[in-house]
Amino acid sequence: MNSKTLSGLIIDSGNEFKVNRSIYTDEEIFKLEMEHIFEKSWVYVAHESQIKNHGDYFSTTIGRQPIFVVRLSNGEVAGHLNACAHRASLLVPLESGNTKAIRCRFHGWTFHLNGQCLVVKNEESGAYANDNFKQENRLTPLPKLQIYRGFIFASLSSEVPPLEDWLCGTKDWIDCLVDQSPEGLEIVKGSSTYTLFGNWKLQAENGVDGYHVSTVHRVFATTIANREDKHQLKDLGQTEAGRITGQVPSGSYDFGNGHMGIWTERSKPQAHPLWLEKERIDREFSPEKAQWMLGRTRNLFMFPNAFLMDNPSTQIRTMRPLSANVCEVTVRCIAPVGESVQARSARLRKFEDFYLTTGMATSDDLAALESVQEGGRASNAPWNHFARGIGAVHTKGEGELMMSSHRPEYTTQNWDHEVIYHGFYRTWLTMIQKGLTS
Amino acid sequence: MNHNTDLALAQDLIFLEAEHLDHKNWNAWLDLYTEDAVFWMPSWINESETTTHPETELNLLYLKGKSHLEDRIYRLKTEDSFASVPSARTVHLVSNVRLSKIEHDVITIHANWLVHSFGIHGGLNRGGYYEYKLRKINEAFKIAFKKVTMIDDKLIGPVDVFHV
Repeated sequence: MNSKTLSGLIIDSGNEFKVNRSIYTDEEIFKLEMEHIFEKSWVYVAHESQIKNHGDYFSTTIGRQPIFVVRLSNGEVAGHLNACAHRASLLVPLESGNTKAIRCRFHGWTFHLNGQCLVVKNEESGAYANDNFKQENRLTPLPKLQIYRGFIFASLSSEVPPLEDWLCGTKDWIDCLVDQSPEGLEIVKGSSTYTLFGNWKLQAENGVDGYHVSTVHRVFATTIANREDKHQLKDLGQTEAGRITGQVPSGSYDFGNGHMGIWTERSKPQAHPLWLEKERIDREFSPEKAQWMLGRTRNLFMFPNAFLMDNPSTQIRTMRPLSANVCEVTVRCIAPVGESVQARSARLRKFEDFYLTTGMATSDDLAALESVQEGGRASNAPWNHFARGIGAVHTKGEGELMMSSHRPEYTTQNWDHEVIYHGFYRTWLTMIQKGLTS
Repeated sequence: MNHNTDLALAQDLIFLEAEHLDHKNWNAWLDLYTEDAVFWMPSWINESETTTHPETELNLLYLKGKSHLEDRIYRLKTEDSFASVPSARTVHLVSNVRLSKIEHDVITIHANWLVHSFGIHGGLNRGGYYEYKLRKINEAFKIAFKKVTMIDDKLIGPVDVFHV
């Protein structure tokens, strides 16, 4: 695979945009993605609320590599590869926990949370040739780790732009969630991980795909409408189905750097748990920002591995690609700190209705994506089309509803337009090509 | 209430529920539940603990009231759910049934379950524990509460009320 054969897999001519279906199934391309995208880019790894106290750690992966982040005694967050400097045993065997020092379970080497090696077991009888042996065997730190408003991002490459530059206009949408409580956000207890037998890019597309909603989630809308009619549910008891049937204004943004977003007006904003805080939100924020927080749903894809959703419920979803054909996905509810039990409970029930593989919508998404993965084997028909909206693109946000501080690269006034994927695939191609030629 | 008679009745009811689910006798399944029934499947917090406060923590399923069970069946019956057509075949094996508490007209039952299913992912096994609260109404028990602890995570979906 060279740069030229790779670019032949994306047709980006101005009038049409097509991707070759082999990009979802080819293991060679998968390796390039891991090496040149996931292991070179900023990647979302955890939320600060998951490691609040000194010694709290959280382990995950960046691309193929196991890593963990940990809270130091001075309050800062450190990140290391999750592999002993000695012979690579995982240092943190659980997903999360608390420890004041890291002791390898294999040969007993012990490390400071900052990565410094404190103990080489039986060092004095080790007959090491080097006097500085211990000092030279520290943990391998993550070259970059930065936090934006509670969201911890890290990179295995030191050559990434400052995090805020990388996040660009997505910061407005992140802020719209973080600002919902003066105390910020927290991950609610509990999570679910599911195994998608499909390529990670299908999941990336799906989370910001307005076009599938009125077909794949029609059954969710009719089920919820049936419930709401039968029990005359009001306000928080409702789940807005108006956006599913496409009856509200909407839009799609290509933020640049592969980040994508779709939004809709809320058909019933009073169904949103934040509605209970309307008075405070209206008082504290500009009418424009309050409208984005209270009045619109937002699905944000943070390239390359995470989603932040503010719909009837709120979610952070992370992807761990395992191969071209398999992706592990974890969903967590992220919610304003200190919200009322009434709001928290409504937020969670809406989450459970929709977002889980045990839910009544995400399960349908997963089945659809797995069907695409299977259909993609029909390689005699090699192209996927992303043509919707190609004639309706606005550049730099002209004529669009948006917050003024950061202008998205390309926008359209319809959430079921597919042009946001153009930016995603352009970033995808550029990063792999850069890796192949450097 | 008599321990042995109640245990025998409870076991019959739980086996009947398994049969209705496996044979997709949805209306008969719903009839086994009280109107105020709660069907709860917690999610995992870490490798060893599940959520314990269903109101304020994330559950895999938390269906409060029979009408929420009816929503599930409504959706299945539409045949409009991508995940449910084709639907998996299932077989429930329920064992270790134990009556652990008798309180007025409510008994608590613990049991273990294994469900083998066959669907688009081929054959899959999932397993866990049940906790039931059965309420005696007119000399017969109905299900007032069912807690399903599924030991599996990294789920291969879909997982609906009849897969567990």
